Amino acid sequence: MFVITEQPLDPAPLVESVRRDESGAVALFYGMVRNENMGRAVRYLEYDAYPEMALKKMREVADEVRAKFDVTGVGVMHRTGRLEIGETSLLVAVSSAHRAASFEACHYAVDRIKQIVPVWKKEVWEDGEEWIEGHVPEIPGTASP
Amino acid sequence: MTTVSIRLYAGLQGLIGARDISMELPPGATVGTLRERLGELYPAVLAFLPTLVCAVDEEYVPPEHVLRDGDHVALIPPVSGGCACS
Repeated sequence: MFVITEQPLDPAPLVESVRRDESGAVALFYGMVRNENMGRAVRYLEYDAYPEMALKKMREVADEVRAKFDVTGVGVMHRTGRLEIGETSLLVAVSSAHRAASFEACHYAVDRIKQIVPVWKKEVWEDGEEWIEGHVPEIPGTASP
Repeated sequence: MTTVSIRLYAGLQGLIGARDISMELPPGATVGTLRERLGELYPAVLAFLPTLVCAVDEEYVPPEHVLRDGDHVALIPPVSGGCACS
């Protein structure tokens, strides 16, 4: 299951979508809105996305994960729009027969999502705001992940 | 002429003041041509160009990628999805 939505994220259907009868473990990662960044108090975050391409790149990350780790399922949900402190912006679920693969694969998936999925966050502070520049995505054929 | 529509995201949208713009380019124009033209038309974008990547048909493309008439080009600033949890 791969989802981009403005609605609050519900982990239950995501976990169910990655679970197979062969799965003995599911690792579930929550990315959340924190109340500070680099020493500045954050009031809320706003996320922008290129939804169609973000879904395509999430599926690519899942393909990479399946090629590198012994997993039985991968799913990703990302929320967009305005998110308050404590709300969940990202959910990544990975299932596997044995737990080590899900932990490692989930960590890898979160890193790759932050590198290549076209989503952006704006931090809004008491006295200003700024779109955060994270990672310049690699262009296929010119660099290998 | 090659006419392309361009979609802007995140900070670029505010900088240029529109979600979508269209641009006329000479036949055979590449993504590199588009980037140069963008800097001429919108000098405020110049500071962002070094880290800006373009996407066509939902894929990141290099500056030498040749544009076709009617292409939809997305201007992708450095991505910053997920949590602020690095």
